[in-house]
Amino acid sequence: MRRPLAGLIAGALLLVTAACGASDDSASPGSSGSGGITTVKVGLIPIVDVAPLYLGQQRGIFAKHGLKLEMSPAQGGAAIVPGVVSGQFQFGFSNMTSLMIAQSTNVPVQAVVNGIASTGVRGKDFGAITVQQDSDIRTAKDLQGRKVAINTLKNINETAVRASVTKAGGDPDQVEFVELAFDQMPAALDGGRIDAAMVVEPALATVKSQGGREITSPFIDVAPDLTIAMYFTSTRYAQQNPQVVKKFQDATAESLAYADSHPQEVREIVTTYTKIPPDVLEQVTLPKWPAEPNRASIEALMKLGQADGLFKSTPDLDKLLP
Amino acid sequence: MRATNAALGAAGLAAFLALGEAVPRLGLVEDAYFPPTSRIADALGAELAEGTFWTALGDTLTGWALGLAIAVGAGILAGVVLSIVPYLREATASTIEFLRPIPSVALIPLAVLLYGTELRSVLLLVVYAAFWQVLIQVLYGVQDVDPVADETARSYGLGTWARIRHVLWPSALPYVMTGVRLAAAVALILALTAELVIGAPGLGARIAVAQTSQAVPEMYALIVVTGLLGLLINVGARTVERRALAWHQSVRGEVTV
Repeated sequence: MRRPLAGLIAGALLLVTAACGASDDSASPGSSGSGGITTVKVGLIPIVDVAPLYLGQQRGIFAKHGLKLEMSPAQGGAAIVPGVVSGQFQFGFSNMTSLMIAQSTNVPVQAVVNGIASTGVRGKDFGAITVQQDSDIRTAKDLQGRKVAINTLKNINETAVRASVTKAGGDPDQVEFVELAFDQMPAALDGGRIDAAMVVEPALATVKSQGGREITSPFIDVAPDLTIAMYFTSTRYAQQNPQVVKKFQDATAESLAYADSHPQEVREIVTTYTKIPPDVLEQVTLPKWPAEPNRASIEALMKLGQADGLFKSTPDLDKLLP
Repeated sequence: MRATNAALGAAGLAAFLALGEAVPRLGLVEDAYFPPTSRIADALGAELAEGTFWTALGDTLTGWALGLAIAVGAGILAGVVLSIVPYLREATASTIEFLRPIPSVALIPLAVLLYGTELRSVLLLVVYAAFWQVLIQVLYGVQDVDPVADETARSYGLGTWARIRHVLWPSALPYVMTGVRLAAAVALILALTAELVIGAPGLGARIAVAQTSQAVPEMYALIVVTGLLGLLINVGARTVERRALAWHQSVRGEVTV
């Protein structure tokens, strides 16, 4: 009778000491390392869009500017904004509508440098409204009364689809939006559970490989060369560390330009942090990575979002944008 | 008897795998979304050859083991203390009933705010979920102590510590072990959920990456791994339970049959 108790206590003690040891080992690495290199944590979704950061890190662009990036791949944007605001990550990646929603509800975020933009080429963008090959939907107007999948309700993709429907002369209020993860859209479309899907890469390539048709490029219907996402930080971090933010802006801008002019290297680096199969990756349409955000396009996105009732108050772009 | 059981088990599994191979091949489901067993097996082989897979497995097991250890330690300690101090039990009963049904996943936003995508986020969820399993079982177990045995121990002049050790603990141990076994399974589920949803490093995060990458066979291969992990953990917990309770009549009874 004594043994099980003693054994259990010994076991528990061992595990608790192991716990202490392990947490000591994983204690957060100093934010400022030797040789003037500052380590910053970046919260991002492991998708093609953020390839320039991985590429810039690999090509030594960030090191040249005195930065070391520690990528924290988060699943979905939901973890990124709170992570940045609470200081777990110094920088994050988020779409413009989410950033404007955050700003309009007084979440202290500040966009610092461009993330990705639409290619601006109709029919050759990285996001599209798609339908099955034999669908009777021909234009965005035909989406009225149909079930259209978007990844998040009341966010950038809803604004984009509504813009396409309006532009085609339809009433977006008659579209039935359903929320579905991008990766589940090809199967749902194929199985006829939805009539159309607003997909982005690599799901777009999968849909096309099944013979799906593109109806329109909704990001282009919002604005030409729409700035879709940006890297951001918390206003507090930006105030306290202006020089780190400046370094991050410069290094990221340089990495974006490098990625834009080296698409083959982008496709190679993507395989290091995603599992996109090679045959799909070849078909993927890459986004544009201009170094500067397109303010006019963000204003257009804001006006549409406001009309759709996404914001509690008018987002202050002068405060939000760098 | 044992051999027959094993053979039946193997046959059942083989039939299941064959079905998994045949259904997509016959075109009953789209093989792009439900790949045949052989393709999942290929993807599994490729996974096992990758170093990053083993790192992810290690991360998941670390989160699971640490979380479980903390939950079991804290659950037993809290359970025993609560039961031997009657006022404390009364004072905490309603709080426990209030906190216990809160699903651990509801704490995800809190975990992200506090710890980002670090291991500690996983631990917060795992410990919260597993702790109640242990605590509640300890409280039940203590109630099951034979009052006559306890009175006898008192009249022989045993102190509090001696009574915990010789009367309370042996009576409660079968309950505690049940709690540990339940907690072990719950801890694995919560570790994987945290990785899937938050993106903390581990098998769950790897599944999520495979999913968003449209790498369907790889995703199923990783899900198979988590299934096997759950199976191993359950078998392990049962073995520990049987060892620790070898003296108890419930286990002794099993052996003599």
